[in-house]
Amino acid sequence: MGSINQALTLFLSLLVEATPFLLLGVIFSSGLAVLIDERALVKRLPKHPALAALTGSLFGCLFPVCECGNVPVARRLLMQGAPSAMAIGFLLAAPTVNPIVFWATWVAFRDQPEMVFWRVGLTVLIAVIMGWLFSTQKDLRPFLQPAIARAMISPAQTPAPATANPLLAGGTFLLQEPGQTMKLDAPYAEVMGAMAVLPQSTPAKLRAVLEMMLQEFRELGAVLVMGSAIAATVQVAIPREWILALGQGPITSIVAMMVLAWVVSICSTVDSFFALSFASVFTSGSLLAFLVFGPMIDLKNISLLLTTFKGRAVAYLFVLAALLTFALTLFVNLYTNW
Amino acid sequence: MTRSRPNLWPIALDILALTLWGLMLLRYWWTGLLPVLLHPDYHWLAIGAGWLLIGLAAWRSIDLVRTRRKANTAHIALLPRQWSLAILVGVAVFGLIYVPRPFTSDVALAKGIAEPVALTRSQPQRFSRATPPEERTLTEWIRTLNVYPEPDAYQGEPVNVTGFVINPPDWSDDYLMVARFVLTCCAADAYPIGLPVQVTAENNYSPDSWINVTGTMDTDTIEGQRRLVIRADTIESVPEPDQPYEF
Repeated sequence: MGSINQALTLFLSLLVEATPFLLLGVIFSSGLAVLIDERALVKRLPKHPALAALTGSLFGCLFPVCECGNVPVARRLLMQGAPSAMAIGFLLAAPTVNPIVFWATWVAFRDQPEMVFWRVGLTVLIAVIMGWLFSTQKDLRPFLQPAIARAMISPAQTPAPATANPLLAGGTFLLQEPGQTMKLDAPYAEVMGAMAVLPQSTPAKLRAVLEMMLQEFRELGAVLVMGSAIAATVQVAIPREWILALGQGPITSIVAMMVLAWVVSICSTVDSFFALSFASVFTSGSLLAFLVFGPMIDLKNISLLLTTFKGRAVAYLFVLAALLTFALTLFVNLYTNW
Repeated sequence: MTRSRPNLWPIALDILALTLWGLMLLRYWWTGLLPVLLHPDYHWLAIGAGWLLIGLAAWRSIDLVRTRRKANTAHIALLPRQWSLAILVGVAVFGLIYVPRPFTSDVALAKGIAEPVALTRSQPQRFSRATPPEERTLTEWIRTLNVYPEPDAYQGEPVNVTGFVINPPDWSDDYLMVARFVLTCCAADAYPIGLPVQVTAENNYSPDSWINVTGTMDTDTIEGQRRLVIRADTIESVPEPDQPYEF
């Protein structure tokens, strides 16, 4: 059939499968940007890194998107000033911690219901650890792409004393009401927040949401295309039996399933059924690794991640998530009777 | 002060990209190619996304014509705008033209045809005893074998299955395999399943041709393994079905 034809068919099928979920993520992200007042949101988020990461992980229940759709939302959360632990927790856990995935995993592994609990538990644990880790970097902006970093509310600027006279601070100001000024050279998000340009009427809000959806889809769609192209090429170029020959050893099976998860890049809502087809050949720990690691990072969403994070940050995310998944599932393989 | 005409090309191109993308998704649906790419349970997602994109493009173009409002460029663009557009439009056009083909036998051989016992699908509501043997499809046979792999239990049962031909390289000349691909969600996870068929007449079935096999079940040893085989009574060439994959 020509590997080219096979790769092209795979490429198109990945696109057709992922586009609805990307749209869903874009809808949620645009809605979040326009309809929710970010200052109120950020005020109500817990400050402790572990709690923030946990909140972020559980946010996935509100935004049931797979790993294509969570990047726009995580990006929006970061830009609106959410703690970095929360955004990272959301990024890693949201594709798994949502009702659709619970249901799909439970249906697929009906005779092994503990798979659902292990999957969700390990995902949340890994997301909290990673969120906590990333929160040690007080200012996340060096990790982010410059365009996002510029738009973020800088944490260093927020604790300005309320009594300081703004006229004594440096910068470019526009006088407004008597006694009030607007700082023009502040980051975009702060300026917009200060001006309260959120549209107030419902038709205007709707229009803003739709406009933003259009822009975000245009940008992220192109990125998804690149990721899917790479995933399709790698799948055709590497014979699957190389990966599958490693099925039974406790360590090699985990590595094989993690590599498979990374390469096949299948959406988290349906990957349980795919994993099921390997259930009698691979150890349970390795299936768990597939289900936990796949939704976090795979070839298809690495390109989406790169729209928000710099290359090195994505590499950190990938390596740390992989190591944590490997260690935890190895523990499951070796020390639990399952 | 003279008002220059706002440059509306960027937003017009955005609308074009969205329209083409939506059309591409819908085209697969109209031409019946969606089963080649995606499991039927998820077709509604792709179709819905296609309509949503078309709707979004329509809304924006109506808005464009009425108010001549150009794009809000305060949005963050991470890929250079021209690149995003070029990629989207290019892929959409390609997707509109290209006809995705179902996978063929060399893909099946490369992936390794799953031994029945290696598959686990727990769908007890479709347990095989409810379906009479002559009505079972290839997938149902494999799932039945999966639940109870002993080949002798099916001795003599009538068989009527449709699939495409694979000639595994190590098999003897009077055996071929009748196979199909099974999808869980999308073509990326397609895996092949098959049953050996012993042909009584000449074996001149070319790989990838579709056949309908009727016969009876028997046990034989192939490649050192005891397996269920079909002793074929009739083998008929059939055209490729609309839904080449099973789910």
